[in-house]
Amino acid sequence: MTCPSTTVLVAGTGVAIPGVPQGAGLLAAVRPPHPPLPWPPSGRDTRFKDRATRIALVAAEAALAEAGLLKDGSLTVPGTTVGTVVSSNLGNLDTVCRSADAAVRAGPAGLRVVDLPTACSNVVASSVAIRFGLNAVNLTLCNGATSGLDAVGWAVRALRSGRARRMVVVGVEPADPVPLHMVADQARAPGDRLLDGAAALVLETAQAAAGRGRPNSVTVTAYARRRDPAAAVRAVGAGKEAGLWLPPGHRADDGRPPHICAVCDMARTLPPASGALGVLQCVAAAAWLSVTPPPGTPPTALAVSGGAPEDDAAAAVLLSALSSMPRPGLPGPPRPHCEEAPPER
Amino acid sequence: MTPVLITGAGAVSCLGVGVPAMWKALCAAPEIRPRPAADPGARMRLPLIHPAPAEPGTDGRATRLALTAAREAIVDAGLTSSECARAPVVLGTGGGNADHWERPLAAARPAPPGFTVAAALATAIGSGAGATCVSNACAAGGFALAIAADLIRTGEAEVVVAGGAEAYSRVALACFNRMGAVDARACRPFHRDRAGTVFGEGAAVFVLETADHARRRGVRHAYARLAGSGWSCDAHHLTAPEPAGSQIRRAMTDALDEAGATTGTVGCVVPHGTGTRLNDVVESQALGAVFGDHAAHLPVYSLKALIGHTAGAAGALGALAAALMLDHGTVPPNAPLGPEQDPHCPVNLPQGPSQPLTGRHILVNAFAFGGNNVSLVLEGSAA
Repeated sequence: MTCPSTTVLVAGTGVAIPGVPQGAGLLAAVRPPHPPLPWPPSGRDTRFKDRATRIALVAAEAALAEAGLLKDGSLTVPGTTVGTVVSSNLGNLDTVCRSADAAVRAGPAGLRVVDLPTACSNVVASSVAIRFGLNAVNLTLCNGATSGLDAVGWAVRALRSGRARRMVVVGVEPADPVPLHMVADQARAPGDRLLDGAAALVLETAQAAAGRGRPNSVTVTAYARRRDPAAAVRAVGAGKEAGLWLPPGHRADDGRPPHICAVCDMARTLPPASGALGVLQCVAAAAWLSVTPPPGTPPTALAVSGGAPEDDAAAAVLLSALSSMPRPGLPGPPRPHCEEAPPER
Repeated sequence: MTPVLITGAGAVSCLGVGVPAMWKALCAAPEIRPRPAADPGARMRLPLIHPAPAEPGTDGRATRLALTAAREAIVDAGLTSSECARAPVVLGTGGGNADHWERPLAAARPAPPGFTVAAALATAIGSGAGATCVSNACAAGGFALAIAADLIRTGEAEVVVAGGAEAYSRVALACFNRMGAVDARACRPFHRDRAGTVFGEGAAVFVLETADHARRRGVRHAYARLAGSGWSCDAHHLTAPEPAGSQIRRAMTDALDEAGATTGTVGCVVPHGTGTRLNDVVESQALGAVFGDHAAHLPVYSLKALIGHTAGAAGALGALAAALMLDHGTVPPNAPLGPEQDPHCPVNLPQGPSQPLTGRHILVNAFAFGGNNVSLVLEGSAA
């Protein structure tokens, strides 16, 4: 059942970046220190996983835990109600290129059996679903600069279509040798490498959150994908103002509304995040909105990605503190008759 | 619920270029043997594939196949350039432009991204409404169509260009060789002696639109409606299906429910059926569980026996086969399987002459590594 007015809440967030303990850490305008511990973490059950999967699992677990959906490592709700969307532009490229190398040198006998499933493009999303038992929608997006915000948009769509009640959205990029090689010619400064981390959001319909008695306060109000940042910003209804402005990449003014109160420019604080950027922006936005803003500050956060000449589109996501709903020109309160998802099976 | 019409279609596969060529071959059901891949670097025991005719060019091979199918679909639907401009593109592919990125590391050589098929397609047709590349392995094409339908039903688009494309992948074929999952003879889903799959190249692209949009454009012909989809994830294993098939059953029943179909209104199933041992057994049992007594007589049309496993294009090509069956009111014969059907796969695979389609719905399955499942239900446009 499709219900465009379904309210979508941020139920939990997780960050897997060395030196950034939680979402609020993304708001700090400092580059994180070098990892003090081996990174990414590896255990018995992740020993043969690719780097992107290991990092994504860390972020997803943190977000599910913060959402109150994990107990002793297991889901507290039916797996059929929870879906997964992963955004990664470079995810398992390292495995694929290593396998290509081995296949040329030695034929199939040179391939490592443990690499075979990892060479599949949807390995990260599948691994998150397997680890946590998530049986609803499972999507992988490799959508370029807008990929992270697109993943948030697709999760919202899945919730409003009744295909899930909760969605885990992960944005991840691994600093493997191959991705580093790929982005080397795009590096803007010496030492400008690639993000080696992930962020995750758990989104949940207001109905499902209320059923669990979760007092969530941040909502994903709107998502749009348009040809340029300004059009995307107008489409999400934030053409005039936003409390927090999270600009796209290195173009800090592309699509910026005339009135903003604070800026969180990840291009200044983190290495290039590619497919993880949009999810990182939304996690930072949720952290900012969860703290009561000063009087007169719009309780909204606007994230934009893409829109560079080499990109095919720009995307925008508007998040709001729940008390600000409904906003003029945006979807109104949920209609009770279509809020409920189908019965669980 | 907003009806989603299929008003244009395009295809390329080992059967040739174009929808008419595909339908003609489906009805003829020839025995097509796979060929060695045209890849000197394919150092493997069974480098077999069903190649598709790709147009020349510098784009990646998957992009070129997608463009061939998309151009046909747009002409078929009669979309104008202004209509193309506001049509989002959603394209599924398992390996993307593998010929561009599946290669050994070379520091001096630039490495173009592989998953640019949707973006390249959008650029080529002049779409400014956004391009989405869905990368759900062998279910990608099916998911792309389901996502496109959701775009229309949520009111975000009136018309969408969507489908799937897949080209030869040395890594994928080497991995399947390494797993011993390539059949040396042919792709033989549900055959007693099947020994794995055989990949095929191909693309199928559709123009999907609302009935209102089609009416305003003066559209006179629609192949079918994309009436429902069901999405699920096994969350079980990266390569093996969940043995009980509970999540693929859920995908099928959700798709039937969304379409308003019952088991009695389904006239045919286009299965995922790849020819791998366990997958075919699990899907057969799941079909039996979903359709009950009806399953014994329900025609199952095994497209992969004809064109091989087209991976990220498979769901879209399966949907095209279903749309053509609904349009013609005919179920074509399966590729010859002989009397050696696996008794553990008790599905009805009609061989011999084509038969009339009874029932106004067709179910299409697309499953993938990682337990990604999508089922589509198409409905005859005259229904």
